[in-house]
Amino acid sequence: MATVVPTAIVQGAGDGHQLTKALQSWRKRLWLQQVLRWAENGVITGLIVACLLLLVSRFTPWGAVSYWASGVAIAALLGALGAALWYRPSFARSARLVDTRLSLHDRLSTAWELRNNSAPLSILQRGDALKQLSKHRPSAAVSLRPRRMRLISIGIVAVALALLFLLPNPMNTVLQQQAAFQASLARQIAAIKQERTAIDGQSSISAQERAQIEKILSQALAKLQQAKNGTQAQQALAQAQAQLDQLRDPQANNKAQASAAASSSLQDSSNTNLSAAGKALATGDSQGLGSALQKLASQVSSMTPAQRAQLAQQIEQSASQATGNPQLNAALHQLARAVADNNPGEISDAVKALEAAAAQDSANQNTNNSINQASQTLQNAANALASSTDNSTSQNPSQSQTSAQGQNPGQGQASGQTQNPGQGQSNIPNKSSNGSGTQNNTGNKSGKNEQVDIPGQLGTGTSTVDGNGGNGQVQPGTAVPYSQVIADYEQMAHEAIDNSNIPPDLKNLVQGYFNSLEGQK
Amino acid sequence: MAKKGEGTSAQTGVEPEVQLENLGEQNEIDAAISDTGAVGEGPGEADIEEFMNIAQQLENELCSIVVGQERVIRELLLALLAGGHVLLEGVPGLGKTLLVRTLSDALTLKFARIQFTPDLMPADIVGTTIVTEQSDDNAAGSRRIFSFQPGPIFANVVLADEVNRATPKTQSALLEGMQEHTVSVGDATRPLPRPFFVLATQNPLEMEGTYPLPEAQLDRFLLKVLVRFPNAKDLIRIIDTTVGTQALRAKQVASGEQLLRLIETARAVPVATHVKEHAVRLLLATHPDQEDAPEQVHKYVRYGASPRGLQALILTGKVRALLEGRYNVSLEDLQAVAFPALRHRIILNFDGLADGITPEDLIETIIEETSA
Repeated sequence: MATVVPTAIVQGAGDGHQLTKALQSWRKRLWLQQVLRWAENGVITGLIVACLLLLVSRFTPWGAVSYWASGVAIAALLGALGAALWYRPSFARSARLVDTRLSLHDRLSTAWELRNNSAPLSILQRGDALKQLSKHRPSAAVSLRPRRMRLISIGIVAVALALLFLLPNPMNTVLQQQAAFQASLARQIAAIKQERTAIDGQSSISAQERAQIEKILSQALAKLQQAKNGTQAQQALAQAQAQLDQLRDPQANNKAQASAAASSSLQDSSNTNLSAAGKALATGDSQGLGSALQKLASQVSSMTPAQRAQLAQQIEQSASQATGNPQLNAALHQLARAVADNNPGEISDAVKALEAAAAQDSANQNTNNSINQASQTLQNAANALASSTDNSTSQNPSQSQTSAQGQNPGQGQASGQTQNPGQGQSNIPNKSSNGSGTQNNTGNKSGKNEQVDIPGQLGTGTSTVDGNGGNGQVQPGTAVPYSQVIADYEQMAHEAIDNSNIPPDLKNLVQGYFNSLEGQK
Repeated sequence: MAKKGEGTSAQTGVEPEVQLENLGEQNEIDAAISDTGAVGEGPGEADIEEFMNIAQQLENELCSIVVGQERVIRELLLALLAGGHVLLEGVPGLGKTLLVRTLSDALTLKFARIQFTPDLMPADIVGTTIVTEQSDDNAAGSRRIFSFQPGPIFANVVLADEVNRATPKTQSALLEGMQEHTVSVGDATRPLPRPFFVLATQNPLEMEGTYPLPEAQLDRFLLKVLVRFPNAKDLIRIIDTTVGTQALRAKQVASGEQLLRLIETARAVPVATHVKEHAVRLLLATHPDQEDAPEQVHKYVRYGASPRGLQALILTGKVRALLEGRYNVSLEDLQAVAFPALRHRIILNFDGLADGITPEDLIETIIEETSA
């Protein structure tokens, strides 16, 4: 081991200015190298993050992932470049880096720190540092060439990114489905808004009922706008439909049937005025009814007792047909008695009562029509949404399911829908349905049964399924009165609730549905 | 360069009061020298050349006589040129005493050897006051007076051989001399000659009947140097140089005054802030209560190195920088001197001793972690 003698003791060792000048070129070179290195890092980081985002988009639907991936990659590069430009190496740091790169044993950093020190040893030290530094050149010692490992890394990540971009993403289908659903939802929302506007302009129904219908539709719209999937939208629509159903007069059908029977009976009368009144009652022509009744009233006084008795009997028969409509029944009874008694005052009162009953029936009919119209709009929306969802799910046969809804007014109208694009046959033992209903039922309640939706169940009759495009319109057989099946369904629903087969947030809906039907059994 | 070392004499017959005043002045000068920020003062080119020449000659002389202990010689030089004391640890027969003797020969310094034994008393080291007869011309007779008889510690190079064999009471007689360079006997404090080096040896094997040096005593040694067994090649050289007819003796290389100048030159070597910070990190990393300390330190260390350890790192780092041909201390210097400077200042706990952990293991870990 021997003591090393200093290479040379520099005469007139350089001052701080010389050191600064000598370090300047190194500092620039190191800065440039830093910019390039950080840019490399930024590129690699950006590409890796872009890869990760694209990878995530293969497990989670993410429509804007391409923009995000591109943005992140560019942002990382720009961020790295900006940081590299901003954090320019100071002279002290440059001295430290050069010390490390050239193995100068902290000569430069010490010299830089003591650049203003005039002690002889400090001057010697600076001279020594400058001498050591002069043996090297920045261009040779600080390479600007990209490192091979970095280039390989960039290449690998770039290839991975390209593959992720080019290979088909299974989530694209989901995204298309979501887009279709959203478009369909927007259309249905527009349709419901239009319907709400139409109902708002109807003067034939009372303001209170109009407000109630509007409120229900507005709530449905709000929920639809917040719906994130088809299930939520269907729930919102079903809930709105249930609320609309509650607005209906439970006896409306009976009243309508009674009114129709009574008007039919009146039309059969040999008395032309009474027959005209029956016609007017059947068509809801209040003016015609009033005119016919006035003529009848004036005719009564000129009739013989036998004719009055016959006329009273005919009116009484009509009244007996209108037992389902108490008001009409009472008015007809009153008219029959007044005609029989030939009491002009009573006849006039009876005529007024009959006109009032007819007007009430007409108003009720208008209200029900509006409700039906709104309900039908909601039903159409539900069908359309189901159809759009169906289009998406039909691409996966394993997810297909069959459901049917039958709206069965007394005329046996029914509608059906299925999410199974193929042909299917729904069978329920001991329950047959063989009607001719179509999906676009008008909701006429001219029959005796009430309108009831029976999801997913049909009778034993053969159901033809329109599998065109997966719309799955079912044209079922005859609708089954709900009273025959509601108990079974209620039992099934309770069991499903008990077995937790129904999500907690839907339990109340199911419970409420069956409770709402409780009084209609 | 001011020859500040010339102000203190190697003689021992100076009045204590005068010596104390001189000592205070010397401390002030030392402090001024240690300030690297001094403007236009301090050692210059000639001093550096002198340092290099003498250090190289000294090292060559020692290496020519003490064979196979180059590392020990280098570490001994580091302590010597830093003005510190050295604890040499090694089994008997490795040339520790020869090394110290050769060193004193090369430096023309007064050498004293004290063989520490259990019955050695402090007065045997520092000296004692005895009654002597002094002729009295006026009384035409003699009179008895008390006079101080200096002990062997009043030398430039004191070899405390097998220092751990004396009792702690006797060991502590070295404390004041090593730190203050003075000796207090009775009511008088007497300065020791300058330069003053204590080179103590201890045998790590024969621990029975020994008194391990207390931490306070250990801390006063600038370096602890481990003397290893030489390898086969060096053993051959030992045969050639020691059992022949030729008796080797070291040439005189430098005087005590020159040595003092070399010490001052070394102290003037500048140290950058980041190097100082690294030294502080090294030192703090030896303390188990520091959060940044390595896990092994937390586990095995009872006490870490004192601030004297930091002084030892920097001082010996400065000397090493000059010996390596540089005018500044580098991180590598600190790491190189960390082992001899810190190994005796790290006190292991029971777990460390039981697991066979050595301070060298811990220092290596500390260097790795603080350099990362």
